[in-house]
Amino acid sequence: MRRLLNIFRKKVVAPQPVLDDGRPFKERYVYFKRLLSENNTVLEIMADMEEKLSGEYIFDMNYVRTSCSKLVDSVQNIIVNLDKLSKGKYPNLYFAFAKINSKIEATLTNKTEIPVTDFTIPFDSVTKDMVNSVGGKNANLGEIKNKIGLPVPEGFCITAYAFKKFIEFNDLKNKIILSSVDIVDMEGLNRISREARDLIMNSQIPPDIESSISNAFSELSRKISSRAGSPTASVRSSAIHEDAKFTFAGQYKTALNVKADNVIENYKRVISSLFNTRAIFYYKSKGFEEEDMVMAVGVVEMIDAKASGVMYSSDPTDAEKNDIIINAVWGLGKYAVDGTVAPNVYIVSRDEPRTILEKTTPVQEVMLKCNPKEDVVEVEVPEEIRAASCLTDDQIKFLADYALVLEKHYNIPQDIEWVLDEKNKFFILQTRPLRILKEKPVKNIQAITDGYKILINKGQIACKGVGAGKVFFVKNDEDLQKFPEGAVLVAKHTSPKFVKVMNKASAIVADVGGITGHMASLSREYNVPTLLDTQVAMKTLEAGKEITVDAINGNIYEGRIEELIEAGKRENPFKDTAVFKFLRALLNNIVPLKLIDPEDEKFSPDYCETFHDITRFAHEVAMKEMFQIADSPNIPNIRKREAVKIEVKIPLEIYVIDLDGGIKSDSKKITPDQILSIPMNTLLQGMMAMEWPGPPPLNVKGFFSVIASTTMQPHSEKLLWEPSFAIISREYMNFNIRLGYHIQTVEAFVGDNINDNYVRFLFKGGGASIDRRARRTRLIKEILELTDFDVKRTGDVLDARVTKYDKSNLLKKLGILARLTAYTKQLDMTLFNDAMVDWYIKEFLSKYYTEDWE
Amino acid sequence: MTEIKKLLIPLTDYPHMPYWATLEEAIVLLNFSHGSGYHTVLVFDEFYKLLGMLHWKDILRAINPKFKELSSEGIDIITSWDDNKFKMPIKDFMSPFDITVDAGDDILKVAYLLLQHDIDIIPVKESEKVLGVVRMHDIFHEITGFILQSKK
Repeated sequence: MRRLLNIFRKKVVAPQPVLDDGRPFKERYVYFKRLLSENNTVLEIMADMEEKLSGEYIFDMNYVRTSCSKLVDSVQNIIVNLDKLSKGKYPNLYFAFAKINSKIEATLTNKTEIPVTDFTIPFDSVTKDMVNSVGGKNANLGEIKNKIGLPVPEGFCITAYAFKKFIEFNDLKNKIILSSVDIVDMEGLNRISREARDLIMNSQIPPDIESSISNAFSELSRKISSRAGSPTASVRSSAIHEDAKFTFAGQYKTALNVKADNVIENYKRVISSLFNTRAIFYYKSKGFEEEDMVMAVGVVEMIDAKASGVMYSSDPTDAEKNDIIINAVWGLGKYAVDGTVAPNVYIVSRDEPRTILEKTTPVQEVMLKCNPKEDVVEVEVPEEIRAASCLTDDQIKFLADYALVLEKHYNIPQDIEWVLDEKNKFFILQTRPLRILKEKPVKNIQAITDGYKILINKGQIACKGVGAGKVFFVKNDEDLQKFPEGAVLVAKHTSPKFVKVMNKASAIVADVGGITGHMASLSREYNVPTLLDTQVAMKTLEAGKEITVDAINGNIYEGRIEELIEAGKRENPFKDTAVFKFLRALLNNIVPLKLIDPEDEKFSPDYCETFHDITRFAHEVAMKEMFQIADSPNIPNIRKREAVKIEVKIPLEIYVIDLDGGIKSDSKKITPDQILSIPMNTLLQGMMAMEWPGPPPLNVKGFFSVIASTTMQPHSEKLLWEPSFAIISREYMNFNIRLGYHIQTVEAFVGDNINDNYVRFLFKGGGASIDRRARRTRLIKEILELTDFDVKRTGDVLDARVTKYDKSNLLKKLGILARLTAYTKQLDMTLFNDAMVDWYIKEFLSKYYTEDWE
Repeated sequence: MTEIKKLLIPLTDYPHMPYWATLEEAIVLLNFSHGSGYHTVLVFDEFYKLLGMLHWKDILRAINPKFKELSSEGIDIITSWDDNKFKMPIKDFMSPFDITVDAGDDILKVAYLLLQHDIDIIPVKESEKVLGVVRMHDIFHEITGFILQSKK
């Protein structure tokens, strides 16, 4: 236990300056103040983290870790200071802290393990549970080939383990540090991205990995030599977190038509795309850190496509519709997904008999094809097929069947990449879960938009929703850098690069582009209303003008239609991300408050389940510890040494002890104007303003001489007329008032931070008969309750307080206590019956608790 | 004969106030004590030394001196109300007293004193302490009860 405590003590923040005289009260006060300050820090950090959960902000793991670590430090400091303040009374707090902290640590360090495997694995041996080794894309390809039996190109994977070894071999982990850049700093992201990519391109592949890849490629060549001339492959990313819940669509590089000798070089290129600016932005905003970014790579037989494209097994924009959507282009599929050309669109019914419901075949001028030796090149589409449909009706239906097979196997709608080779054979290149948005149907559009001018009424809906803002044309990367918050992005082509500003854009409009492209995928993932294929947006819309994009009905209106925006309100997609869920899970150990009632027996360290519980407990207890100062047996000694008498015209003899900045002077006798202590000053002013009933106080000597010769009422105790003591600082006061038979303690902390502030009033009556005492207690209790104190009564003892008031209201409460003190001095005699008590209560309130008191 | 201790109303049960209490407070106290039939406030200092007695007559006189004289036209209560007096201490209006009896004294003796001085309550002391008061009201009841008893 000692060791445990020492571990915690070591971590404490640098110690404050040493006190010069070691006076015990001053020391306790220092710990108390430190505790209060750390408590405020904790509350601020918690509030900030909770605000991030409102969904209005984007943040990354770095934020979560930094905030957490600050929190841990502060909570530790609170416990340590309480330990010193209370002289070690609450050792169990350390255990409570350790328990909660270890839960948080466990969550923070949850890492995916990279399994040790061969450096390369052929697709023949891959299934979907090997995701951690081969990445999502490759795992799915292996699954499709080996379990489902649909045609898939030959190929092999370069595993995550190979990646790990590559990184270690070149010590890249220590050279690439992404956490240093803020997610919203575009400049910084660009710079780090360049540096990282250069580093990787200049790094060496370990020799054993290189030979493994060579061998695998030779093996691949042998398998496909029957199909093509000299074998080439595409080298594609297959990141570990790719394609599970996150599309990472278009973020990583794919190298097409690569020859044997260039596989290694392209492998590095694909790996380096892990550090594309937009990829960095994407995974930071989704909550991954660079340690989580592990990439496997697929080396896949290159198929020189006759036609290719994307297929959705269900409609991503409408949960109600479940027809199969096929996009097709001549040539390689890249042009379909990156928005360069407008694709053929086929909509096929999923019910038997398979029917083609819709067919759109725009003219395609250019296509991407493989160069004979290597690489790809854009060529013109032959005249005779430019306007033709890429697929025949039979082919369409055939392909649609594949979609349903895949959907059935995975049990959720699929996003599929396919290719048709020159011999009219289909291959599946990729499949992954299709993200479908759940939307509320929008009613009464007619009524809302009446009177607004429609600027554009054509287009395909890539992501449903309504967004409004000023038109901002994006023609190049510079434009993207300058994109303003809340604007509508208008461009000719779609581009996955737009992901960089998807958290800022209120809507996206593009003249060309398919709803199955990468960018469309990203729009849906970030839930940005997007209209594509509008054709005339660039020439119709005006820069800077306010427009409303209705991506539910496919219209763009002039001006801003609030009701429409309201009606199309979208769910914040950030709430689905890993980092968001992570923060929420983490905060479960931090924020919920179980320890509510200090009177409850469960209000103890053993029942602390969160950091909030710990700080609440510590705060409560710290107040109690400070409160006991005045009852400390040390007081008589202090009296002689340090107490200063206040000369004041009230029937009390008052001495003060200054802890820290409470008094202006050095002399042994002072007047009220020399009191710097805010609470003490207020209390004194209040008492001086009262008319004190009864005779002035006698000094002790005089008192005793009178006692000897007078009658005493039979049921009284000895009249006590001892001096009253106060311990003060600038913001703090602990005032023990002796008044006749009664003892009152007023304790207060009046600072600038509302969380620190409180007033506590403890009243213990003495003397008088039982019924008089009871009446007096009731009198004071009810006045306190009616002036908004929180009062607890145990027999003759009243414990009243107010907490978390701002300075000015707290001082008013002190004023009431001052008046009450004077008012109730020697009231016993007149509390003849309960009716009198009620009258006195009314009297007090009407005189001293008027309208201007809150 | 019986000792007056039997008829003693203890101090705690009898209206009493410190000399600095205001006239208003005394009025409230007596008004609220209406049901008990008490009509006098005993006035003490902080050491519980008896200083005087404030009878209802003293109060009424305090708030309107004109009561001392009878007016043939009758009394307009509202205009003759003297508000200023309310905040003044009762010591300014109380009647001094000089008669007390001892706790061991006989009822008849007390009755005699009450008649002689034409008062209806009297403080009862034991050594130097005021124990309470006895009222003519209760003494009369005791004496007449005794008479009726002995007649049977």
